[in-house]
Amino acid sequence: MNVSCSELLLKYGNHIALDHINFEIQGEKIYGLLGRNGAGKTSLLSIMASFRKQTAGSITINGEDPFENSNIMEQIVFMYSKNYSEESETIQNMLKSAQRYRPNFDKDYAEYLIGRFQLDVKKPIKKLSKGMQSAFNVTIGLASRAPITILDEVYLGMDAPSRDIFYKELLQEQERHPRMFILSTHLVSEMEYLFDEVILINKGKLLLHEDFDTLVSKGATITGDKEIVDDFVRSKKCINEQQLGGTKSVMIFGELTEVERNDAIDRGLEVTPVPLQDLFIHLTKEEDANGTKSRLF
Amino acid sequence: MARKAVYSKVAADMFIVQMSWTFWFLGILLAVQIIKMVIGGFQENGTDPYFNSVFIAANVYMLIIGIISIYFLPYYVENGVTRKDYFKGTFLALCGLSVAIPVIAICISTLENLILGNIVQFRDMDIVNSVAAKIDINSNIIGEVISGVVQSVILPPYISPESSWILAIAVFSLNIFMYYLLGWMISASFYRYNVITGLLFIGFSIIILLVRDGLLRTSLNLPVPSRYYIFESLPASILLLGVAILIVIAAVVIRQFTKDVAIKM
Repeated sequence: MNVSCSELLLKYGNHIALDHINFEIQGEKIYGLLGRNGAGKTSLLSIMASFRKQTAGSITINGEDPFENSNIMEQIVFMYSKNYSEESETIQNMLKSAQRYRPNFDKDYAEYLIGRFQLDVKKPIKKLSKGMQSAFNVTIGLASRAPITILDEVYLGMDAPSRDIFYKELLQEQERHPRMFILSTHLVSEMEYLFDEVILINKGKLLLHEDFDTLVSKGATITGDKEIVDDFVRSKKCINEQQLGGTKSVMIFGELTEVERNDAIDRGLEVTPVPLQDLFIHLTKEEDANGTKSRLF
Repeated sequence: MARKAVYSKVAADMFIVQMSWTFWFLGILLAVQIIKMVIGGFQENGTDPYFNSVFIAANVYMLIIGIISIYFLPYYVENGVTRKDYFKGTFLALCGLSVAIPVIAICISTLENLILGNIVQFRDMDIVNSVAAKIDINSNIIGEVISGVVQSVILPPYISPESSWILAIAVFSLNIFMYYLLGWMISASFYRYNVITGLLFIGFSIIILLVRDGLLRTSLNLPVPSRYYIFESLPASILLLGVAILIVIAAVVIRQFTKDVAIKM
């Protein structure tokens, strides 16, 4: 599968939700879509899933416009934290509908997941807890086996053991039936090991789209004696710094060359990778008290 | 090929789910009918037939399920069905529903007649039509509209099954078809736009309803309230064409409102 966006623009009245987004993703990979609240993640995903039409620009899936395209729409499943407060259908019946309209739906696997999440199939969905409703969404999302599976903060309300089941099942599914997964999340530290590639959007704009390993290798934390650290990072982009007594730790963005890395080690500094969560926080942070903004691109 | 399969699936599902509601509706009316007959002491000519009870109540019922039908749109799009397939499927299910309800009603009524003989007869519903013609005593426009709507709901154009059961079913079908369609149109306008637009489309629906009533009554040679006299010079074929055009207008509006509507999340 191939998803390509070109100058994608979405406006709600005067508010620009997506501002000329360009990217292309393809292959059976797990994509992490990151962004702060209101960044435009759900807007972007809802256009992919034909829930809404863009204001301008284009999106193509396997070279075709997905909107109202029967062949494309049946291949995309979009699960999100849905309000089920008025849904009186039982899980059993909802599974039947998914099976009826999703060509690759695996009923046995859905039943297996229902068992793992310990869901009561005869209860109306509105009577389930938020976490259980989310587990049901995960079940539909995984068991539909749609070539493009979009899970938008689908874990909301799920407890840690359930989320663990979700992550494990996701990886196993990807091994058994590889497909394009797009996971939008705030739980970056918990889910980063799942991602093959990362797309970061901020205030409706695409900030970066990189391979996960390349992205995390772009950051480094340099820790050591304050003066040596200050000297070492002078020409680097610093995204965060912390100090405790004479020891300073500075997070830098931009790849370190082998020479620089060896130089740092020779000077007694410690070089460690930056977790994706920290990169995410610093890349999307608002203007600070001094009015300076982390502008990296 | 694949497309055809999807909308026919939607049609079958919509028909089944709405028929399951309809059996409750028809069942409750049947219970009421039996209670009425027991209270009436099974006297000759004591009770209106079941067909007539359904005939009156089905309009409001269809309006309500028409309003609800828009809430199947997000459900289908979430399941990967296009808005077009939703529209086609729902429209086909509506056609099925509009025929099924009168047919079931007439079957039960016939059975009622066979069991109870003369106790239940189709006699005095003709009064409905003549009463309808006398209702418009209000001279101002608001009074005209209100009396027109009330009359349309409780005294719709009526053909007795005794005179022609095919025509009776056809008129009944057309009445309930129209109410569902207008309910669907109103809910589509609320779904896509805002309350103001929704209210405007309630007004638009009332106009369609009143014009359709006039066209249908005149074409069937039923007693017609004075406001519809302008239709009297027209031949029946033109009047029925007018009814068809009104249906097309409502259907086109629904399709236009839903064809690229954003799904509420």
